[in-house]
Amino acid sequence: MMSNANNATDKSTTVLDMGRILVMAEQIGAFFAPYPPLRAAEGVRNHLRTYWDPRMREALLAHIDTGVNGLATHVVAGAQLLREPVSVQKKGYYGPPQA
Amino acid sequence: MFVGCLRFSVAVLERDVMWHELRDLREDIDYGTPPREGAPVTLTVDGVEVTVPAGSSVMLAAALINRPVPKLCATDMLEAFGSCRVCLVEIEGRKGYPASCTTPVEAGMVVCTESESLQDLRRGVLELYLSDFPADEIEGGWSEFHETLERVGVTTHPYGQGATHFALPVDKSNPYFLFDPAKCIVCSRCVRACEDIQGTFALTISGRGFDSKVTAGQDQSFFESDCVSCGACVQSCPTQALIEKSLFNGEYLHAYTT
Amino acid sequence: MPIPRKPDNSVITTCSYCGVGCGFKAETLDGKVVRMIPWKEGKANHGHSCVKGRFAFDYYNHPDRVLTPMIRSSIDLPWQKVSWEEAFAYAASEMRRIQAKYGQKSIGAVSSSRCTNEEIFLVQKLARAVFGNNNIDNCARICHSPTQFGLSATVGAGAASQHFDSILQADVIMVVGANPTGGHPVFGSLMKRRIREGARLIVIDPRQTDIVDSPHCHADIHLAIRPGTNVLVLNSISHVIVRERLYDEDFVRARCEWPEFEAWMALVSDERYAPEIAGPQAGVDPETIRQAARLYANGPRSAIYYGLGVTEHSQGSTGVMCLGNLALSCGMLGREGVGVNPLRGQANVQGGSCLGSWPHVFSGYRFVTDSDVRSSFEAEWNVTLDAEPGLRLPNMFDAALTNQFKGMYIMGEDPVQSDPNQNHTIAAMKQMECVILQDLVLNETSRYAHVFLPGSSSMEKDGTFTGAERRVSRVRKVVEPLAGLQDWEVVVRLMNAMGYPAQYAHAGEVLDEIARLTPAYSGLSFALLDRVGSAQWPVDQNAPEGTEVLHTKTFPRANGLGTFMLTGYVPTAERVTEQFPLLLTTGRILSQYNVGAQTRRTANSQWHQQDVLEISADDAVIRGIRDGDWVNINSRFGATRLSAKISARVNPGVVYTTFHHPESHVNALTSDRSDWATNCPEYKVTAVDVLRLTTENAMPSEAELEVTV
Repeated sequence: MMSNANNATDKSTTVLDMGRILVMAEQIGAFFAPYPPLRAAEGVRNHLRTYWDPRMREALLAHIDTGVNGLATHVVAGAQLLREPVSVQKKGYYGPPQA
Repeated sequence: MFVGCLRFSVAVLERDVMWHELRDLREDIDYGTPPREGAPVTLTVDGVEVTVPAGSSVMLAAALINRPVPKLCATDMLEAFGSCRVCLVEIEGRKGYPASCTTPVEAGMVVCTESESLQDLRRGVLELYLSDFPADEIEGGWSEFHETLERVGVTTHPYGQGATHFALPVDKSNPYFLFDPAKCIVCSRCVRACEDIQGTFALTISGRGFDSKVTAGQDQSFFESDCVSCGACVQSCPTQALIEKSLFNGEYLHAYTT
Repeated sequence: MPIPRKPDNSVITTCSYCGVGCGFKAETLDGKVVRMIPWKEGKANHGHSCVKGRFAFDYYNHPDRVLTPMIRSSIDLPWQKVSWEEAFAYAASEMRRIQAKYGQKSIGAVSSSRCTNEEIFLVQKLARAVFGNNNIDNCARICHSPTQFGLSATVGAGAASQHFDSILQADVIMVVGANPTGGHPVFGSLMKRRIREGARLIVIDPRQTDIVDSPHCHADIHLAIRPGTNVLVLNSISHVIVRERLYDEDFVRARCEWPEFEAWMALVSDERYAPEIAGPQAGVDPETIRQAARLYANGPRSAIYYGLGVTEHSQGSTGVMCLGNLALSCGMLGREGVGVNPLRGQANVQGGSCLGSWPHVFSGYRFVTDSDVRSSFEAEWNVTLDAEPGLRLPNMFDAALTNQFKGMYIMGEDPVQSDPNQNHTIAAMKQMECVILQDLVLNETSRYAHVFLPGSSSMEKDGTFTGAERRVSRVRKVVEPLAGLQDWEVVVRLMNAMGYPAQYAHAGEVLDEIARLTPAYSGLSFALLDRVGSAQWPVDQNAPEGTEVLHTKTFPRANGLGTFMLTGYVPTAERVTEQFPLLLTTGRILSQYNVGAQTRRTANSQWHQQDVLEISADDAVIRGIRDGDWVNINSRFGATRLSAKISARVNPGVVYTTFHHPESHVNALTSDRSDWATNCPEYKVTAVDVLRLTTENAMPSEAELEVTV
């Protein structure tokens, strides 16, 4: 088999302009705002996990780690959920919230 | 053998009727009138028993058993109109010669599509059409009109030089197709296609009798009118009076105008 | 002479313009296409056609076609004609050089919805298996990506629930943000036919489109909303349905997740969505919203058809969810005459979505993050695949500006003209070191390309298209490819040049591979399509000849139930101000197609020689603008000039234009705002001001319009 897995040179600073990443995160947060807190956070987590290049997720988390972010609580909580392992039942499914 | 092409009602919803006229169309056969859905009706056409859905025309029943009736104003993408008087047939127990396109089938009907008197009637009608069709453009033509002439065996007409539509200007305004009134037999297929298939209502027949003609918009050119150039009229024209410009090399001129 | 030449051969194929997918008989004479005849057995068109498919086919043989590959090391240098081998070798070595220098993820690929399913599938294979990353996207990103997202979230499948003929059984037709007689003319004719038969019509659109008022076709209700208020108005319609208990409780209890329905009811029944409050915000009469809700809910068969007027918003995905919620709440899914149906702009937008040209899913909408799915592709392709989503098209451009994205393979797209915020796109293109463009002609994007690979038109290749009704139809080669290779062969040769040993004897073998890897396409083959003409997916063991109506028993979600999403209205950040007091929205017209690369090269231009700006008489008068005046249009993002047309089709406060001509530079105006879920650009709402040009009212020169970066 040829190997095409990620290689080490992909390590980057910020793949997109940070302002752009924050606007996208805020917009996602605005959609999930009507949901109860836990589901809103999970919705954000699932969305970032499914649709965002990992470098964008890392950049967002690094920004959140600085402490000052101006993001909604459930966006911060959702991003931080990315660091927890995903349960077996939800393997492969990271779409919008499911019952 | 063709009967399988049409569906019969199995106590379906009433609304289900409407799309068989679209879905049962076939590329290699023109039923003459739209396919229908309905209870099976059995009749005899030229000695062959045929079963078709109720609401079908006699013309469609004949087409199904490969006995197509000569026609000009009928085609299966449009409702029957009954104006060209070419598709006449004989039906046992009925007086005269009903048009097969506008006559619905009935159980036990016995239809004859070919006879000497029918041949004479069709010949007479076609000779009249021919008397107002550019004579140089009969041979070598390949339109539905030309095919019908060939089937009925009409190549000339007995009439003298009367009034014709030859001098009317050709409308070349549309970049893709032209309209030559000299070849138009005013069968209304283009007008009906514009209304029923396309839904634009850009064409009408204006005038009466000899003066009746296909008119775009408010007596405008095709290009200036509301025509959206969908091509449905060109597609439906049986005489190639409406025809794609791409089929011609150089300018479109009649022999008699050169 | 007046006896026409008779074509000597014909081939049945599928139209390459809009997403209706009309069947055509392409007639040739001496090896040249002379006529396109609508195919009576075409299940999407039943022998009907429009001006584009029927007549505008000459572009395939246009002198502008580039038939020789070209390369250059810098975009400042002239093009150099080379052989196919040299072009592939150069492109491959540049892409590998960039990856060695900037990393495996520094390159990506974009396919087009004008490409066949086979080509789109191969381009994703090129990115995933050969580039070794998931930087693969397609132009559905900028039009219908919210459809996939919003419909998947509610009903489980991001595609039309019906077949086109189903509209012949609808009692109520709701058209939202679509102009079927202009954009999807053959389906528009079918819709008008049903309206003449008595179906009631609701139109939600800022502009008075032809179906609102034309001979024998009038909308019962036209909600001429302010651009950007779709979600508000749809929530308000839902508000009425909930408050007046017009919903179908039996359907929801049997087929949907009831707790989610209750949560949704709580959201939409909030006072802020009451017509009396929402109506004035959206610029429509509250009573009309109530009437629309009652008409839709009472059906008994109500069908929704929508277009880019729903998707191309910062809340595009939410707007689509609103439609899913609405249909579920009223039980308008799973039978004939109902449903939620996107009208797709390009021939293969549905196929583009299905065939995995997305950074996060393989063909068949299965996540790259799912290891089981990934293994099936790894086994077939004999490579290890990236387990993480890649960059989306707009993010590829963003990453180019941070120097993290340096090479791009673009198949059949013109992002510089078609993508929003043109200045940003151009700046990004200029940062890249290798842009490989495959197209029929040089376009706006080719100015920034390093490798040009001649494309083949749909007359010149084999494959399949998937139309807006999920219908997969054959594209058949009518004439030999003018540049010598069919598009799918070009992708395969590029893969080979980059060291990946893909081999296919013909396009049908690519479809066979698609069938092996994509459940909904598992029953498809050229042999099946030759036999049955066309088939709507899912085509599988349960439905060997396809599926006309989806969701008849269950929804394709884990528990089989439909669900409701909470669709709170979030106004776009793009707002009118004193400086930018008008809202610009965009659309298309009948005779032209998209960026116009094809139709502008045909006589269709006689109907539409330039894009014009439609403006209401009120707005024109206070600016001293007369019909035909050239006007300057400014937005926060750029400026352009157009000729003004005073029109009753738009309300005061709204201006409208098309984007068919590159010299119009309409996308110099459009914003960088995009859908929250999919980054689909917000083409439909841009705050602008319009000023009459005080100088000569002449068409400005190309140099004057040169976009500065």
